[in-house]
Amino acid sequence: MVYLSLIVMIPLAALLTNACDGGLASFWRAITQTEAIDAIRLTLLCSLSAALLNAVAGTATAWILVRDRFSGQGILNAIIDLPFALPTVVAGVTFYTLYGPLSPVHVNVTGTWIGITIAIMFVTLPFTVRSVQPVLESLTFNAEAAAATLGASSVRVFRTITLPTLMPSILTGTGLAFARAIGEYGSVVFISNNLPYRSEVASSYIYSLSTSGQTNSAASVAVLLLILALVLLGVFNVTATRMARRRA
Amino acid sequence: MKRAPLLLRIGVLCYVTALIGAPLVFLFQQAFRRGWGAFWSALHDHAMDEALLLTAKVALIAVPLNVLFGVGVSLWIVRHPSRFSRILDRLVDVPLAISPIIVGLILELAYAQNGWFGPALATLGWHVMFSLPGIVMASIFVSLPLVSRQVIPLLRILGDHQEQTASTLGASPTRVFFTITLRSIAWAVIYGVTLTLARVIGEYGAVLVVSGNIALLTQTLTLNIGANFDNYDAFQGFVGSVVLALMSIAVLLVLSIARQRERRRSEYLA
Amino acid sequence: MSISLNGITKYFGSDLVLSEVSDEVPQGSLTALLGPSGSGKSTLLRVIAGLTTLDAGHVELNGRDVTDVAPRHRNIGFCFQDYAPFRHLSVFDNVAYGLKVQRVPREQRRREVEELLGLVRLEAFADRYPRQLSGGQRQRMALARALAIKPEVLLLDEPFAALDAQVRGELRTWVRNLQRELGITTILVTHDQTEAMEVADRIVILNEGRIEQVGRPDHVYDNPANEFVQGFLGPTTSLDGRTYRPHEIELGLTGDRGLPVRITDVVRLGFEVRVVVEDLDGASSWVQLTHDEARQLEPRIGDTAVVRARSDVLILR
Repeated sequence: MVYLSLIVMIPLAALLTNACDGGLASFWRAITQTEAIDAIRLTLLCSLSAALLNAVAGTATAWILVRDRFSGQGILNAIIDLPFALPTVVAGVTFYTLYGPLSPVHVNVTGTWIGITIAIMFVTLPFTVRSVQPVLESLTFNAEAAAATLGASSVRVFRTITLPTLMPSILTGTGLAFARAIGEYGSVVFISNNLPYRSEVASSYIYSLSTSGQTNSAASVAVLLLILALVLLGVFNVTATRMARRRA
Repeated sequence: MKRAPLLLRIGVLCYVTALIGAPLVFLFQQAFRRGWGAFWSALHDHAMDEALLLTAKVALIAVPLNVLFGVGVSLWIVRHPSRFSRILDRLVDVPLAISPIIVGLILELAYAQNGWFGPALATLGWHVMFSLPGIVMASIFVSLPLVSRQVIPLLRILGDHQEQTASTLGASPTRVFFTITLRSIAWAVIYGVTLTLARVIGEYGAVLVVSGNIALLTQTLTLNIGANFDNYDAFQGFVGSVVLALMSIAVLLVLSIARQRERRRSEYLA
Repeated sequence: MSISLNGITKYFGSDLVLSEVSDEVPQGSLTALLGPSGSGKSTLLRVIAGLTTLDAGHVELNGRDVTDVAPRHRNIGFCFQDYAPFRHLSVFDNVAYGLKVQRVPREQRRREVEELLGLVRLEAFADRYPRQLSGGQRQRMALARALAIKPEVLLLDEPFAALDAQVRGELRTWVRNLQRELGITTILVTHDQTEAMEVADRIVILNEGRIEQVGRPDHVYDNPANEFVQGFLGPTTSLDGRTYRPHEIELGLTGDRGLPVRITDVVRLGFEVRVVVEDLDGASSWVQLTHDEARQLEPRIGDTAVVRARSDVLILR
């Protein structure tokens, strides 16, 4: 218990009080700075795009891991976890070199939201896959088979039977991915180039504020980001639970 | 419908290869493009070696602490359910949703020289910022829930009938713990430990803020890689990256094995 | 070892789960704790084992007060309904566990485990793991494991509930024979009255934490102490203020002497024919007929008939 408070709770409390130190007014001022708004907007845009794309890609990947048979399936299953295991900075510098000014494939997306989104996609793919996979595995074919005998095409079966069953887990995984994405630093800081107002993500902005001594503002924006993350997670999880409950 | 449409299979494989496979291969290629000799000598770069040592030290302290905590808190939450333990459960999961930069920031706010407890700790000779304790704390924070998230669901499924049976067979509580409890959650713990190790070794943002990134003194391997890139020494950075990538692959292997072993054991539970 | 229960009372929060339960379990007997769900029978078993504390009362094993003694010092064998196998240990190591705790030397341990595995006919599975066994095999392993420490009391919590019908029947007989052979005092919890009647020397019927009746199976069946026991042990029919079991009554033609009823169902069960009837008040019960009787009377659904006590039953009563 002491352990927990020392490491987690006290620092969190410190954050909150610091953010409120200058009073509500300074909190508001800090989070409504143009640079702050731009950074947060960019972060949300890229995170959402990446999370949504990976919601689709992750489900597809879980599908072929569970419902398909081909050699190399084991390798695929293991490699999905790579973004969990690989340090973010390694991913960051690799993407920067691969898709940046020295790109061997002559693709340069540094400083663009596309580059940032790609980096985030790398980091968040495992979330949806690992969230959907167990649900898919425990699903039997019965409901789907029944629908097929009633004349439904496989696309229709998927759309009306399978997908609704998977939706709660897709939502949970996407929610986790989204929350992770908006705080991401190491993998995006290189490819984003960090140009204020243009290609700076929220975490970068907070970092620059803290290193320039503007701790109060940093704390304020950090609190905002945390609230966003919690709200997002809450929304996704509640929607997922509601959906799951309706079906049961 | 035992086979997925071929198009889907190809699509996913292309996607995963492009997103995960290609960068991985590229990474190795970049580190070795000057040949083995250059790679080996780069491994002996002084700054990188110091960074490796520091990372190892941090891992050696942070990982065991978090494992003890993780197993302990999991047992508490599952075996003594109460409103308090439910709050504890949520609290432990909090670090997952917090940006690493923010982690660094809040540690600074609480424990820096001008922070809340900074001065008090300083009188004890304990410095958090720009030194080892701070890096350790940051690493612990970000990897806090990794063990318990694996162990708690397993403990819930297992129930405690095994332990009760063992006690009727004459075993003392200590013996029950070591011969039954620990061994039945073994693979989940291994899985969690591996994830924790990977996270601690790979942490970047939080350590960046807390350590100050002082080369040779408070620079972990990840910071070292970042610094090399910032200084346009991409090659050195890639050499360091390969070291970490190899660690990641080893981690993946262990995770894969642990997942298999645990599944085999639980075959009839599902 | 005989077991003595005195005034055992247990609360879960504010719920009274066991109320002043007292009983003397004779050495070497197989006692069934029978009752509906929520009657407290499993709780009572766990109290005897020491796995659950009690709020009032005493438990004595062979005259020794063990109320405050931990389970591991009570020398009992306990089997959970889910068998609680040690998943990470082989069948051999499962059974050997208690012996290892007792520091029995390896050679002797091996011999005893092999003997036990032979007793439960699992010799071929010694090196397998619980996940590779069927339900019935896991049950036998759990028994062998409990018996390994040579307990003076064996406590079984719904041991057959999780098995399919055929295995259940075989295992019941097998356990009863084993118990007789070993002579070990055994208490078995069940909610199935047929099982209790088939297997036990004496039945303790529990309802809402209280003992309703204790006695030999046939005695309890024929002489239920109250309405609850009567209803619980099997269907009854009331005639002239007395109650009878299905095999104690017969069917007669309409107009004959007896209680007028309407036949609502006829079930042929292989060795008997069950005629379900409903009287004028709507109360339903059934009559057990032999094949010959059924062929003679030809009962059909919708027919009217009468029900009366069989003459030989009346004489005995």
